[in-house]
Amino acid sequence: MSALLEVSGATVRKGGRVLLDDVSLRVAPGDFVAVVGPNGAGKTTLMRVALGLQRPDAGRATVRGRDVSALSPRERAAFVAWLPQRVQVSEPITALEHVAAARYRFQEPRRRSEEAAREALSRVQAEALAARPVTELSGGEQQRVAVAALLAQEAPWVLLDEPANFLDPAQQLELYALVGRLWRAGKGVLCITHDINVLAHALEPGAAGRLRVVGLAGGRVAFESHYDAPELGAELGRVFGVRMGDVRVEGRRVFVGLPVERSGA
Amino acid sequence: MRTRLVATMVLCAAVLVVAPFVGPAMPDDARDFILWQLRVPRTLMALLVGGTLSLVGAVYQSLFANPLAAPSTVGTTAGATLGALVAIVLGARAAVWGLPLVAAAAFAGALGVSLAVAAIAAGRAVRMNDLVLAGIAFSMGAGAISTGVQYSADAAELLAATRWTMGHLPQVGYQGVVLLLPVVVVTVVGLLALTRALEVFIAGEEHAESQGVDVRRVRMVAIGLGALGVAGCVAWCGPIAFVELIVPHIVRRVLGVSRRVLLPCSVVVGAAFLVLCDAGTRVVFPGREPPVGLVTAALGAPLLVYLVARRST
Repeated sequence: MSALLEVSGATVRKGGRVLLDDVSLRVAPGDFVAVVGPNGAGKTTLMRVALGLQRPDAGRATVRGRDVSALSPRERAAFVAWLPQRVQVSEPITALEHVAAARYRFQEPRRRSEEAAREALSRVQAEALAARPVTELSGGEQQRVAVAALLAQEAPWVLLDEPANFLDPAQQLELYALVGRLWRAGKGVLCITHDINVLAHALEPGAAGRLRVVGLAGGRVAFESHYDAPELGAELGRVFGVRMGDVRVEGRRVFVGLPVERSGA
Repeated sequence: MRTRLVATMVLCAAVLVVAPFVGPAMPDDARDFILWQLRVPRTLMALLVGGTLSLVGAVYQSLFANPLAAPSTVGTTAGATLGALVAIVLGARAAVWGLPLVAAAAFAGALGVSLAVAAIAAGRAVRMNDLVLAGIAFSMGAGAISTGVQYSADAAELLAATRWTMGHLPQVGYQGVVLLLPVVVVTVVGLLALTRALEVFIAGEEHAESQGVDVRRVRMVAIGLGALGVAGCVAWCGPIAFVELIVPHIVRRVLGVSRRVLLPCSVVVGAAFLVLCDAGTRVVFPGREPPVGLVTAALGAPLLVYLVARRST
């Protein structure tokens, strides 16, 4: 039995279009795998397959050797937690209640759920938000609370779908620093993004650990590399249809998109 | 918040105790009969019906993430009306196993239509908005048949049918209470058991699924149990307007949206609210006893408007 979250040969079709074409991916505990690609590349479909929310037409997603779609929702929640772009909380429940709700998979008394929720909130420095209605928090605060919910769920794998999409630069930095800490604490992280540079915030300069980068384009895996690979810029450029240059700023690698030179223009 | 909760509960308890004594003065020789054979069973009936309707409203609003969701959303009311109409036209005086035919038919109609919607809810790819649409479609279908039935009815039957759709608390004595009680207990206990799952639903269905909630099961159980409870109430009382819509919103504005408060408090406040409305009919129209649906709307609508307006300033 392998201790992996594994997508193998996943193909998803919808109305004659192929959203995902024979995609395979493995995330071991302690791995950080970033899936990058342009909009419409199939990133979100891939994540839904890994989460068991979408059944692939061919191939399968397994966690520790068990088919994700054959698990009960509770069993699945014990393995994999999910952070969407934005958690749409429809009502003004408190942050504490929201985080405590993530403990659904545990059959435990309410008091225990709330203790665990407080602990999770303090791990993301959000104790002060506990009694505030989630709907009144800023986007950054909401995502911080959502990370606390991820922690409270205590799943060994976390799946993040463009989690900083609606955040300003300071909030992006803070969020990815938190994600980096989850990673170094031993979680397997699968993170979707079309912005490669946010990943730099998850890396601690000088710290060990390689951030794997998987490029997705047109539903297929275009490349598999890692964040400090010299050829990553060129590969990203091909996936996004631009030239991609890179520079180092204070030890962090930053990628810059440049227009493609047209011959004869 | 805690003092508000306690104050609300004390107020509700007071309403329940005082209500049977509210109304036109009782002549001494008939006092025991009026109090124990008429008013107390009716108060009990109002308590059961009010509590159940309000809880189902609160659960449906949580489940559909829609503040306008109500038993009528999944076709319960239209089904009950169809059943009752058919029974009235066929001959309302008949009885099935001691149960008036109208009540039995309304129960069957309400349950039939809502279970059809619940069956659709069991589908994997079905979204909540699709369910609301399905409920509307089933309601319109049942409504069309009802119109057909009405067209073939005579004037007396039409009057009886119209009266029925106004919603009233019938003079059924303890028999109706005893028949309704098990339905109410199953509904209330079953729905309150879903509280945790409905808390997780607040962040959306897919998110709930990822956190371990069996979304399809929760949907089916909630709609099924809700339909059962409402069918039981509608069978005796007809469609009492607005209780299931107004009470959860009042509770939510006064005591908060936390599901652990909202759901049980909707039961208590709903019970007290309908009991109060019933007592109101005795005070406002002594001796006439108009349908309680009139009072629920007359009392509930201004209260809700006041709460909405106060919150938004």
